[in-house]
Amino acid sequence: MSREHSHQDQNRLDAAALVEEQRRTIRELQTPVIQVWEGILALPIVGTLDTARTQEMNESLLQKIVDTGSEYVIIDITAGPVVDTAVAKHLLETVAAARLLGAEVVIVGLSSRTAMTLVHLGVDLSGVVTRTTLAKGLAWAFARMGLEVVPRADGPVRGIAPGAVSGAPASAGQSAPSAGAI
Amino acid sequence: MARVPVIRIGDVLVATAHEGLRDADALALQSDLHQALERTGARGVLIDVSGVETVDSFLGRMLSEIAAGARLLGAHTVVAGMQPPVAITLVELGLELKGIHTTLTPEKGMALLHRLIAGDDRPQPIEQLTPAGASRARRIA
Repeated sequence: MSREHSHQDQNRLDAAALVEEQRRTIRELQTPVIQVWEGILALPIVGTLDTARTQEMNESLLQKIVDTGSEYVIIDITAGPVVDTAVAKHLLETVAAARLLGAEVVIVGLSSRTAMTLVHLGVDLSGVVTRTTLAKGLAWAFARMGLEVVPRADGPVRGIAPGAVSGAPASAGQSAPSAGAI
Repeated sequence: MARVPVIRIGDVLVATAHEGLRDADALALQSDLHQALERTGARGVLIDVSGVETVDSFLGRMLSEIAAGARLLGAHTVVAGMQPPVAITLVELGLELKGIHTTLTPEKGMALLHRLIAGDDRPQPIEQLTPAGASRARRIA
């Protein structure tokens, strides 16, 4: 009898451990911080943005800034929540915290609807750089770093060579460090 | 803990805040820095806070006040090496240290101060002098 009991207890413990592990995985998936270039981090926000998530996001972002020595952060809200006053407040907290570590932040992925909502709500984002797309945010960071992305002389001619679609951005990216070495 | 020493490196005053800094020490640091600015005419202040692991509203406000005073005395202030928990705490306290330049390391802070000081000496004012790359801004624009 007692053996059966302990067996059940063990099962319950296993289940609890599994749930905890899955919860941790979900949490990690929710707050990925990606290094898109040396010195540039990207933080795609997927799903909701409440106080608890903002805290986790801040912690992982700030740690990553320290680990990588990054000076630029791109926060992408393309797939994020509808931005209201509360979400904007959380975003501003993240921006302020990153700034305290010496990083500059750009928020990208704002839609016209988001922009209109924020204006209607009277949310002041005047101190924050914003762009419509991730690409424009990256271009902003490159510009701030003094980098320039230029086509390589020996690269495929755009739109003519086979595989130009996949080839062009890659070669352009590779040439950036040498072009940026001012 | 003891008073925070202020040392002068070229045009910049450097102070390293340590963990467990008492309020009295912070106040002493403020007056020491401002007196040193007045005496030496230094153009920059670098406060290294990498050793600080806990912060309260008093210390946060102290940093703001040191920077505000330094600006009146013609110097830029850079706070360098802040640890992530400290940054989070300051934001939660609503002390975002607006108007203070921040860098990840003291080394970067020194480089930024030199750029800021060099920017002051240019004939035309630079628009929107921001914490990073003040000297680059013109080249890109």
